[in-house]
Amino acid sequence: MAETSEAKPSPSAPGGDAGGEEEKRDERMLECNICLDTARDAVVSMCGHLFCWPCLHQWLETRPSRQVCPVCKAAISRDKVIPLYGRGNTKQEDPRNKVPPRPAGQRTEPENNSGFPGFSFGEGFHMSFGIGAFPFGVFTSTFNFGDPRPSPAPRGTAQYEEEQFLSKIFLWVAILFVLWLIFA
Amino acid sequence: MAQNINPHYASSSNPSKQNEDTIKLKDNHAVSKRLQKELMELMRCADKGISAFPESENLFKWIGTINGPLDTVYAGHKYKLALEFPNSYPYAPPLVKFITPCFHPNVDTCGLICLDILKDKWTALYDVRTVLLSIQSLLAEPNTQSPLNQQASCLWANQGEYKKYLDEFYNKHKDL
Repeated sequence: MAETSEAKPSPSAPGGDAGGEEEKRDERMLECNICLDTARDAVVSMCGHLFCWPCLHQWLETRPSRQVCPVCKAAISRDKVIPLYGRGNTKQEDPRNKVPPRPAGQRTEPENNSGFPGFSFGEGFHMSFGIGAFPFGVFTSTFNFGDPRPSPAPRGTAQYEEEQFLSKIFLWVAILFVLWLIFA
Repeated sequence: MAQNINPHYASSSNPSKQNEDTIKLKDNHAVSKRLQKELMELMRCADKGISAFPESENLFKWIGTINGPLDTVYAGHKYKLALEFPNSYPYAPPLVKFITPCFHPNVDTCGLICLDILKDKWTALYDVRTVLLSIQSLLAEPNTQSPLNQQASCLWANQGEYKKYLDEFYNKHKDL
């Protein structure tokens, strides 16, 4: 093979001479930095470097004490990579049992800044009671407009279920307390 | 692809090890695939002054050549190196040593090279090309602080003397 093999269209990339070369360059943009092949089960590091998840996983396994990006040597870890989901590649994925699945994508709800944070009865129902030094308790529980509450956990997660359960319990405790106040 | 098996594992046929062997063969396949890619790349855009090619049918052993960098005492010299890729390549570095005896502060008499990227500074991104380029620049800029060849290290300060000794050494050993 001589140096002129550049112009020859590769068997894997069909197309004309110029188009093939262009295509090849585009393909190389999406190559894993470890196996030099098109990234499969692709993940991207925080520093922006693309890898196959199996390749990166093996790299991290080979040096558990000093986990750095192979390209720029920035700190890297299992939790700090983002999987890339292309269109329609989920079905044909090879369920590799030796390689752990790549980490799931993390989706955070956008911060909700509209209206009074204390009176958001929509998504997550919040209720607070102040029992203690009476006037101050009322102030602290009622006039806490300044600091926004932490945003509710996303629907469907374990934390969300837990919060729903807790808020129900407190609701019942509050009702019982009020009834006791009335009838006692 | 049977010839592209790391010779270390090629001979084992114990049935109890068969499962282990298939895993290794799979790994081997990934390694030879990457080495093939590197070979293609090297041939497609050859750098001036370095070249490399598999020694035989076995992709795990390559022979590389480095031309001494211009404007240094090594200019005009040509060094052959042996590269041996472990089964864990590219997660582990290749074993690289000079075949042509090389008089250099960081190369010992067996041809072993003291270079950080071939040891603790290795990353999976490095390949044959970058390794050979690094060794080429090591020729021009030796690390005289931790020499493997004490004599070369001491002589380095005096470039005239060094050049004289080096040429003599090279001409005596280049055809070995």
